[in-house]
Amino acid sequence: MAELHIIGQIVGATGFPQNSLFCKWGVHTGGAWRLLSGLKEGQTQVDVPQTGDTAYWSHPIDLHYATKGLQGWPKLHLQVWHQDSFGRCELYGYGYCHVPSSPGHHRINCGTWRPLGSWQERLAQTFVGGGPQLRSPDLIYSGADRYRLHTEAMGTVELELGIVMRHLDKYGVES
Amino acid sequence: MATSNPSAFLLTVNGQIEGANFPEYDNLYCKYCFVYGHDWAPTSGLEEGITQITCKGSQSSHKLIWNFPLETTFKSTNPSGWPQLVVSVYGPDVFGNDVVRGYGATHIPFTPGQHTRTMPMFVPEPTWRLQKFTSWLLGRRPEYTDPKVVAQGEGREVTRVRSQGFVTVSFHIITKDMKKLGYDTGPSSSANTPSATSGWSTEEQPHIM
Repeated sequence: MAELHIIGQIVGATGFPQNSLFCKWGVHTGGAWRLLSGLKEGQTQVDVPQTGDTAYWSHPIDLHYATKGLQGWPKLHLQVWHQDSFGRCELYGYGYCHVPSSPGHHRINCGTWRPLGSWQERLAQTFVGGGPQLRSPDLIYSGADRYRLHTEAMGTVELELGIVMRHLDKYGVES
Repeated sequence: MATSNPSAFLLTVNGQIEGANFPEYDNLYCKYCFVYGHDWAPTSGLEEGITQITCKGSQSSHKLIWNFPLETTFKSTNPSGWPQLVVSVYGPDVFGNDVVRGYGATHIPFTPGQHTRTMPMFVPEPTWRLQKFTSWLLGRRPEYTDPKVVAQGEGREVTRVRSQGFVTVSFHIITKDMKKLGYDTGPSSSANTPSATSGWSTEEQPHIM
């Protein structure tokens, strides 16, 4: 069995309308992958930056997978939320990125998007916040029914992921 | 040397806590410690320490320099629980009490070579305005009872923090026997690879989507 280690952190986010952001994240894999240690989903803290507009989380990720096949390579999906001073949470964006497939240290900027409602919903959104959300988070990392969505672009999430592979070359995998 | 079938690999960390960038605070010192998983054990060097107190120089108005050496070696059988460096920065407030100015953590790089990391520093933030005022008045800010919490991902959902500075650390990494055990950590870096965002590095990084 080949093994894959994902060691890194979700650094922070930038380019969103407001600060005071947190991120819910998860890693999705195919059936051939087994998680040996580490948490494959979580939620970061809420950060309110004092200077600048980048919210920093520095949320550590340390995952150890064993696999029998290359299908279903791990994908990291994210939801960025905004928490205001009253404690209400509002969705700011969905995004995903594939975990890099070459060993070493990688810096990744993941773009995010938010579903766009009708003009009445958008008008209400400017006054009271809120807005449409996906019913099932699978759509963040799959392309199956995306053609029905109309979305707007939001900010970017910065990730630093380090990849350590073991025994993949014994099976003839080149990366 | 009987190393034909090693059972563990070694990671040697030589580096320094170079300094910090805190626009609003001065006269800071920093405590560091290493946090690692169950399969890891330090074999030499110090696991924790405290730097000197430094203040901003007259030439560069925002840089604080510690230049504090780090030299530790770890032994492990498994890359899970790879060591992280946890840094906490403290300084005096208006009334002279010692308060925390930031916590931060970063993984030790695993490719051999030279690396620079810029870590954002954050403090826990009280939720109520009245609590903010009383903590400023009495000098008792919210602190983590154990700074190692910063290195973990669980239990952070309920914390609210404010990021207010950066600490720059540079590492020279040497590993032994990782290849013999079958681990591929990628190409060793030959030059500075600044990470995270602003702080001290101003390079544009390519976007990988």
